[in-house]
Amino acid sequence: MQKNNYGGLWLSVFAITVWGAGVARAEDSLDAETKARVEKFEKGPSTVNVSKYPQGIQDNYEVFSTKCMQCHKLSRPINCDFVLADEWSRYVKRMMRKPGSGIDSADGKKIYEFLVYDSSVRKKTMLDKKLAQATPADKTAAEAKIKEVRDKYDK
Amino acid sequence: MSDELKPGVEPAVARFPAPIWIIVVMLVLLYFGGIYFDRHGGWFDRRVYFPYTSAGELAVYQPQSGASASLTHGRTIYENVCGTCHGSDGLGKANQAPPLAGSEWVAKDVVSLARVPLLGLNGPITVAGQGWNLGMAPMGAGLSDADLAAVLSYLRTSWGNQSPPVSEEDAKAARAAISGSAPTEANLKKMTPVERGRLVFQKYGCSQCHGRDGIGGVSNPNAKTAELIPGLIYIADGYNRDELTAFIRRGERVIPRKNPAGPEPPHFMPQWGKIVTPDELNDLADFLFSLKPKGSDIGF
Repeated sequence: MQKNNYGGLWLSVFAITVWGAGVARAEDSLDAETKARVEKFEKGPSTVNVSKYPQGIQDNYEVFSTKCMQCHKLSRPINCDFVLADEWSRYVKRMMRKPGSGIDSADGKKIYEFLVYDSSVRKKTMLDKKLAQATPADKTAAEAKIKEVRDKYDK
Repeated sequence: MSDELKPGVEPAVARFPAPIWIIVVMLVLLYFGGIYFDRHGGWFDRRVYFPYTSAGELAVYQPQSGASASLTHGRTIYENVCGTCHGSDGLGKANQAPPLAGSEWVAKDVVSLARVPLLGLNGPITVAGQGWNLGMAPMGAGLSDADLAAVLSYLRTSWGNQSPPVSEEDAKAARAAISGSAPTEANLKKMTPVERGRLVFQKYGCSQCHGRDGIGGVSNPNAKTAELIPGLIYIADGYNRDELTAFIRRGERVIPRKNPAGPEPPHFMPQWGKIVTPDELNDLADFLFSLKPKGSDIGF
């Protein structure tokens, strides 16, 4: 009978074992909390249906899609837990100030306005919940900022 | 009756292939065995025994006296602060940090050696015959004299290095020779948070990477951020106090690459939470917020 040679098979078993050990080690070096948070957001949908939004906001959505996708998945901002105007203002500025972002002040403002508008429609429940937890002064200020964007685009 | 004894059946000597399912089971067992071994095996260290999983974990429980207690303490500091780049084996990391094992820098006099963790080190140097051109922040600026002595002693006596250990008095004298006189507690109290924050910014050498007063412009090859380390003057736009202090504490170990197939960018944001005190961090935030140029608001 033909002699079987399992050398290659055992070599691959060994390789997989070593790889398994490597994976276990690599996991230890990551910031688990941040990773889990981002991964959760990125699992969600990666587009927004903007067909019912005003034309200006639809145009801003185009800017948002092209600029933000240069560095990360669109599903990250679309599904993340930012809803307040201040949160978006900080986040957009943080991204646009990164060297080489290619986002100027005008684009930054369009992206910000899209995100604030979109949060006030698509993430209304989350927004209302956050507003309810804010102090009265913060709530008034936050609502004013949302109104400013809505008034500009809603006819 | 077995085959060999049946009449008419020729007894045969041969090798038969093992069933596939056994191979699959072995494979799965070996895979999880490998993971288990890595986490609990202590990597063949004969000092490690159940239920402990590593020599480092056991070291805490060993009875210790003077010198060895200080060395164990030094090792803990080393692994927390220095080991991220220089490696727990002291061998360094290509394009990020030179080795400390067998480094002539470690064998220098205490003042010369202490200068590196206290003030940082920038520019071309030669270590064990190899050239390096990198930057290191003063990662040891926040250590007490005793901690500094412990960690310097650890690296002078580990991985085959055989230089005499450093005493707390040596470390104190070296710090005085290098840093001059630090501002007194009373003087610090008289300063504004922004002024104190500026001192923190200088103490930990933030400018080495982020530029003088955070103007940026320092190169970080293959970083996605246009191969530059970000400047800090617009920090006030992008972060509130909680977000900023959390980020500085956490650092950013993995810098996204411009070319994913290219090398790892040499600079990353250290985990300052292990090094900077909460008060210092608060003052630093005030200083960073103060950097925003007047009239630079962009209308949202």
